[in-house]
Amino acid sequence: MLWSIPLTCLLLVVVQETAARMACVTGKGFASLIREQFGIRISTVAMLAVILSNFSVTVSEFAGIASGLLLFGIPVYVSVPVAALASWLLAMSGSYRHIEKVLLTISAVFVTYVITGVVVGPDWGKALGSTVVPQMSGDPAYISLLVASIGTTISPYMIFMVSSNVAEKNLDEGDILGQRADNVSGALVSQAIAWFIVLTTASVLFPAGVVIQDAADAAQALVPLAGKYSAVLFAAGLVGASFLASCVMPGITAGAVCEAFGWERGTDRSWKEAPAYRGILTAIAILSAALVLLPGANLFGIMMAAQIVNGVLLPVLLVCMVNIASDRHVMGRWANGRIWNALTWFTIVAVVVLTVIMFALQAMGY
Amino acid sequence: MIYLSQMLGNPVYDLDGERIGRVNDLGIATGEVFPRVTSLAVEGPGKTPFMISWRKYVGSFDDEVRLKVVSTDIRFSYLQPNEVLIARDLLNKQIVDTRGMRVVRVNDLKLSDTSSSQLRLLGAEVGVRGILRSLSPAFERASLKIARVFGKSIPERIIAWNYMDLVERDLSNVKLSVSHKTLDELHPADVADIIERLDPRLRGQVFAQLDDEQAADAMAELDDDQMAAEIVGDMEEATASRMLSEMDPDDAAELVSELDYDKAEKLLRLMGVQEQKAIRQLLGYREDTAGRIMTSEFVLVDETGTVDDAITALRGLDENFESVRYVYTKDEEGRLAGAVSLNDLIVHGGQTVLSDIAESELVVASPDDDQEDVAKDIAKYNLLAMPVVDDARKLLGIVTVDDALDVMEEEHEEDLQIAGAASRDGDGSRGGHDLVWLLRNELWFAFWMLGLAALALVAGTNGASDTTLLHALALPVAVIAANDSISYVTNFFLGYDPDDEDAPSLLGFTIKGLGLGLLFSALVLLVAGGIKAALFASGLGAYDPSFHGFASAAVSVMASFLCAPAYLTILRVRDAKNLETSGLALQATAMAVAIVVYAVALACLPGGLGA
Repeated sequence: MLWSIPLTCLLLVVVQETAARMACVTGKGFASLIREQFGIRISTVAMLAVILSNFSVTVSEFAGIASGLLLFGIPVYVSVPVAALASWLLAMSGSYRHIEKVLLTISAVFVTYVITGVVVGPDWGKALGSTVVPQMSGDPAYISLLVASIGTTISPYMIFMVSSNVAEKNLDEGDILGQRADNVSGALVSQAIAWFIVLTTASVLFPAGVVIQDAADAAQALVPLAGKYSAVLFAAGLVGASFLASCVMPGITAGAVCEAFGWERGTDRSWKEAPAYRGILTAIAILSAALVLLPGANLFGIMMAAQIVNGVLLPVLLVCMVNIASDRHVMGRWANGRIWNALTWFTIVAVVVLTVIMFALQAMGY
Repeated sequence: MIYLSQMLGNPVYDLDGERIGRVNDLGIATGEVFPRVTSLAVEGPGKTPFMISWRKYVGSFDDEVRLKVVSTDIRFSYLQPNEVLIARDLLNKQIVDTRGMRVVRVNDLKLSDTSSSQLRLLGAEVGVRGILRSLSPAFERASLKIARVFGKSIPERIIAWNYMDLVERDLSNVKLSVSHKTLDELHPADVADIIERLDPRLRGQVFAQLDDEQAADAMAELDDDQMAAEIVGDMEEATASRMLSEMDPDDAAELVSELDYDKAEKLLRLMGVQEQKAIRQLLGYREDTAGRIMTSEFVLVDETGTVDDAITALRGLDENFESVRYVYTKDEEGRLAGAVSLNDLIVHGGQTVLSDIAESELVVASPDDDQEDVAKDIAKYNLLAMPVVDDARKLLGIVTVDDALDVMEEEHEEDLQIAGAASRDGDGSRGGHDLVWLLRNELWFAFWMLGLAALALVAGTNGASDTTLLHALALPVAVIAANDSISYVTNFFLGYDPDDEDAPSLLGFTIKGLGLGLLFSALVLLVAGGIKAALFASGLGAYDPSFHGFASAAVSVMASFLCAPAYLTILRVRDAKNLETSGLALQATAMAVAIVVYAVALACLPGGLGA
């Protein structure tokens, strides 16, 4: 798995940079651009993709909260409704921005994976080697893990979030360089942490013969450093990150849909003024929480499934993006160059091929 | 009826039936209420676009467009400056509906054939119907039928051309029909509302379309000071400073104070000397004082002058001078002597000397007075404007009633925030607010549970769990009392001003709080003790954990009310610094403190946790 991380990092940079650049040049969100360039039909398809994929991510965030709190011994039917209510209230009022910093700090405990990785002292040479040399395996689980990991990193919501942030701040062409620096550094840090998580988990758990089935197993990777507190650390990080995402996600979705169809949006609009915005937001929060609460739901499985859905729907939006970004009428002199276009198309093809293989393998009964 | 979504992509044939391309766009002449379609944009073979005149060449346009001539006779035309391409400039774009005062996205365009060869634009469809139709006309019909089954109809929402404002395309150099209502004809307050709903980039573009005076008025009406500052920051400096000069000095000063220092200096330097001086003078006063909100545009004449003199002075005023409510008079030393209302000027003859009709018992403010006091006085004395004078009683400016109303609204919102009521948008969105209100009021429950968990953790090593539960039985008393002590504080804070002479002193407040605390703790102890003696006398042994809890609750209640003066001081200090204080945060703090005191009391009282 290690080899895929530098690759996803590169693709992440490409996608984020394009999204930020488009917003800088046009001053519009991605949804607006899709609508204005491709008309209603394609934007409807794109919006369905966004709703579906963001919905599945929200489900997985609630699953994350649930499995994190399960480590503290709090049952699912308590933690999910409470978290859903809290995140719904925060998302509706937009006041999650106040606690954003706190949650980000909490989720920074994932840095402990880096420390544990260093403490455990894995075979660095072998690790580097497997980062550089790709290995493929026909194992369907391996393929779906690959699709999922690309799906988590380069996700539809990320495109919308980047572009709406940039448009909201009204950055213009002059800020493109700053945005690039931002994107690259952000992608590097997050992927470095991801690399260490994979490395640490592999070097701690694999020799012990543990197969990761749920959050408790994943937390065990931290045992060499944190001892008995490892579960607490892991759970806090998971809950913090998931909760923040579950506050942001419904808002992004509702915002994008309303932007595309020209309905009123924003947290400062009332139910009467922006029924569609508030309705979509509420529906996503309630439905996704309900799905997690379904009896017999496998939380870890839900999280993985969400990432796969993301991976499947991603190409739809990426095709829209590459078309807009290379259109000189829209982008002027900031249009995509050949390399950037090629890389985006490569991402699209890679995701499509992986997805097809995955389905084919599953269809063949593996 | 013909819809643009149905026309785009239709094939175009010439007289011989030869296909020359497909419909790409329609050009309209902008001068009319229902603009005529004047040109047809065709995408020819190999995706080459070209435009031809509609009047000269188009014969019929039902499902396919048939031309009146053969393809070799066609002469291409070019887009005229007064033409708008409706697919490029309107379809899918954001426009402002200047009648409904909303920002909408165009889903489809409705056209009508007024004669066999003439086509006119009826308006833009912005409702759901347009979306459904663009997806597929069959889908639209199906949806309509389904809706009819439920007894509903889906109406079309059409905005006529003369009520559209194309924010993305500047049409100011295009001559529009007289009846065309664009943004700059709306009331500035409505323009400000619309601007708040646009994307940041469009905000700048809309401001660029308004003339300086309109822009200045709209800017003054923007509720969000930060947004206004951002827009100014993105504007060209020359334009921004021109606009600031147009604004009333008090509004301009407020805006400038939001900008960063360098930018503000630059803009001020670009302005005319007089306006610059006026704004700088206002900026010299502290925030939230009379000096900051007053305007230096007033009419001051000699008291020995006549009514005619005053009226001449009024006639000579600049066009965008702040509305005049009173004419102020000064004595020979330049001190403010009196005020004459416009009524008096009209009623009295031209030769009447002003000092005879002037009201000389004036209520005045000093520039350092708190803006809230000034606003209250304006309300109390039913004034339209209040003069602000310096120590030598020289007139510096006036605070007008509209500024006073703004102040009242601002202060009211701050008070609401402290009182813990729903803040910000008072209109609509009750559903969410009721829930928030409920959660806020039942916050004590969360703290009770937290306290219980904390007690259990502390006692975890040496106490039995039953004892812990009994210990925590009285915890709600402490938590709710803490909550109430905060309402006691906020009520007092909202009710009395620190500078008010008739307000009870801080000492009085402390003693009263102490009394209340003592009374309630005594009540808790007596009632709990009484009930215990009456009902549970025999059941328990020498040590009774629940009564012990009630004793701790009594201590905690006392502590909560003892802390009240501290909270009041915090509120007042923060208010003086103009920081917003949330009532919720205060409540949470008080309840947390109460729990800690409760736990400590539990441990320290004889026979406590260690026993």
